Amino acid sequence: MTEVLDIAHLESAHRGLARAWIEFESGLAAVPVIARLLSGRLRIEDYRSLLFNLRQQVVDGGRWISRAASNLEHEELRALFIRHAAAEHRDYRMLEDNYVAAGGMREEIRGGVKNIGSEALSAFMFHAASQANPVGLLGAMFVIEGLGNRMAGPWAEAIRMQLALDEDAVSFLAYHGANDEDHLAMFDRALAMAVIDAATATAVVRHARIVARLYRLQLEELDNV
Amino acid sequence: MRAYVTGSGQFLPGEPVSNDAMADYIGRLSLQAARLGRLTLRRNGIRSRHYAMRPDGTTDWTLARLGAAALDDLFARSGLDRRAVGYLATATTQNDLMVPGLASGLHAQSGLPPVEIASMQSVCASGMMALKSAALQVAAGEHAAALAVGAEFSSRYFRPGHYHGTAAMNADGTLPSDAEFLRWTLSDGAAGVLVEDRPAPRGLSLRIDWISLRSFADRFAPCMTGGAALNEQGDLVPWSHFPTIAEAAQAGAFQLRQDVEALHRMLPVWLGELMRLVDEGRVDPGGVDHFLCHFSARSLRDEMVALARKAGCLIPEDRWFTNLYEKGNVGAASLFLLLDDLLRSGRLAAGQTVLCAVPESGQCVMAYAMMTVVDGDET
Repeated sequence: MTEVLDIAHLESAHRGLARAWIEFESGLAAVPVIARLLSGRLRIEDYRSLLFNLRQQVVDGGRWISRAASNLEHEELRALFIRHAAAEHRDYRMLEDNYVAAGGMREEIRGGVKNIGSEALSAFMFHAASQANPVGLLGAMFVIEGLGNRMAGPWAEAIRMQLALDEDAVSFLAYHGANDEDHLAMFDRALAMAVIDAATATAVVRHARIVARLYRLQLEELDNV
Repeated sequence: MRAYVTGSGQFLPGEPVSNDAMADYIGRLSLQAARLGRLTLRRNGIRSRHYAMRPDGTTDWTLARLGAAALDDLFARSGLDRRAVGYLATATTQNDLMVPGLASGLHAQSGLPPVEIASMQSVCASGMMALKSAALQVAAGEHAAALAVGAEFSSRYFRPGHYHGTAAMNADGTLPSDAEFLRWTLSDGAAGVLVEDRPAPRGLSLRIDWISLRSFADRFAPCMTGGAALNEQGDLVPWSHFPTIAEAAQAGAFQLRQDVEALHRMLPVWLGELMRLVDEGRVDPGGVDHFLCHFSARSLRDEMVALARKAGCLIPEDRWFTNLYEKGNVGAASLFLLLDDLLRSGRLAAGQTVLCAVPESGQCVMAYAMMTVVDGDET
C-alpha cells in the first residue's frame, strides 16, 4: 500500500514538472531575444549579450549546488548534488570562450555583473539551498537541465546557421544539448529517491515553477543591470 | 450534465481507397511527392480511406450532402423522429461556401424542421466544439434533442489543378512538405451524434460527464493553415488582402498547409492537458475503459510515451479504440466516426467510461470528453 502511494506522489511530481515545463517553454518563445532566434532574426550582438548575461549567473552554479548538497540529509541525493556541482562548476569558462570566439573581449565578460533577473534567480537558488534538506531544488535542476537537454542543441545549431559561427563559438550550448540527456536520466532516479510524500512532490514542482519564471526574467532583462 | 448520446450515424462516400490507389483520386504531382506520400503513410499508419471525388475529378457530393447522408444513417437506427430535433451544430474545416455556414447547408439537406443552428469552423476540434454546444443546449433545457455533425471533403483541395501554376509548386511538380503532407493525411466523410436530455429507452447510451476544450493560440503561431500565404517577412497574409484574387491564388493562399515540426512541438502541450485533468481528479487513467483518441498510439514519439508513463497518465494501450487505419483522418468528423464505431462495436457495457481526445494542430487546441455508458433510462 505504501509503495503504491509513493508511486502516486512521484507520478504527481512528474505531472507537475511536465506542466511547469510546458508553461516555461511557451513563455520562452515570447521573450524578445528567443523570438528573434526562433524566427531566424538573431544578430551577433544578441548572441554576445546572451553569453555575457548567462555567464554572470552560471558562474554561481557550482556554488549553490554544493551549498544545497551540504544541507541535504539523504546520502545518495547528497552524492548526486556533489557530483553535479563538480561537473558544472567550471562551465562558465565555456561561456567566456564562446564570447571571445563570437568577437567579444574576455576581460569584459569576466568583469560583468548580473542583470536584475539573474540577481533574482541566483538569490533564490542560494536562499533555497540554505534551507534544511532542500530537496525541492530538484525542481530547479529539472528546469535548468531540461533547458540544456531540450533547447540548447537546437539553439546552438540555429545560432551557428544564422550568424555563420564556428562550433567553438557555441560549445556551451552544444555541450549541454549533447550531455544533459544523461543528466535527465540521473534526475529521474534522484526524483524517485526524493519524492516520498505529497509535501516533497509539491516542493519540487513549486521550485520548478519559481525557477522557470526567474530564468525567463533573466532572459527578459538582458543587459539591464 | 444531463445530456446523453443516444444515437449516432456515419457516411463514408464510395469504396475504401487503398494506399496504392490514392494517387488515382488526388492526382500525381511528382516522384518526390509520391516518396513523401509513402513516408507520411508509413508514419500515420492509414491503410484505406474514402474520397467523395471521382478519379476524373467530378463529384456528386458537398459537405452538406455528406452530412445529410450521415444523418439518414443516424435516424435509420434511432428511435427518435427527426422532427423532434431542436438544435443542429455542425463542424468542418472548410465549408462548401464561404458564406453562409455549413449548418445552413446541412439543415437544407437534412429534412429537419426549422431548428436552431450553429456552424463551428476550425479543424479537428470543431467536432468537439459542436458536441459541447449540443450537450450544453440540452443540459440547459433549451432543447430536448440536438444533433452534432462533422463533415469533411478535403480531397477536392488536393487535386493537381489546385497547385499547378502557383508559387508553391516547383518546376518539377514538387510541393513543399508542408503542403504535400496533408494530401496524404486527410480524407472525406461525415458522422454525427444525437444528444438528448435522457438516455434512449432501450439499448446503450453515453452520458456526457464533461467536455474540456482549450486553445493554446496564446503561445503557438498558426500551424495548419488555409486561405493565406506567407510573405517575405514570414507573416501570414490573408487571401483577401492580396490586390487581386489571381495574385492570392498564384501565391498559394488557397492551399492547406501543415507545419509538421510545429505539430511535434504541440505534443507535450496536448499531453499536459491530460495531466491537468488527472491532477484535477477528472481522469483516472487506469479507470478509463475505452480511450477514443483522434491520433494513433504509433504516431506518438517514444519520449511522449515515456513521459506519460512516468507521470502516471498513460492509458493502457489495450483500451485505445481507433478506426484511423481503415477510415482515415476525417478531421472534424473523426470524433463522431469514433463514437459511432464504438457504439456499434459490441464492446460497451453499462458503467464503463469512455474518454475522447481530440487534438487540433491548427493553432493548437486540445479537447477531452468523458462519458459513461448507461443502459436504458437510468432515472
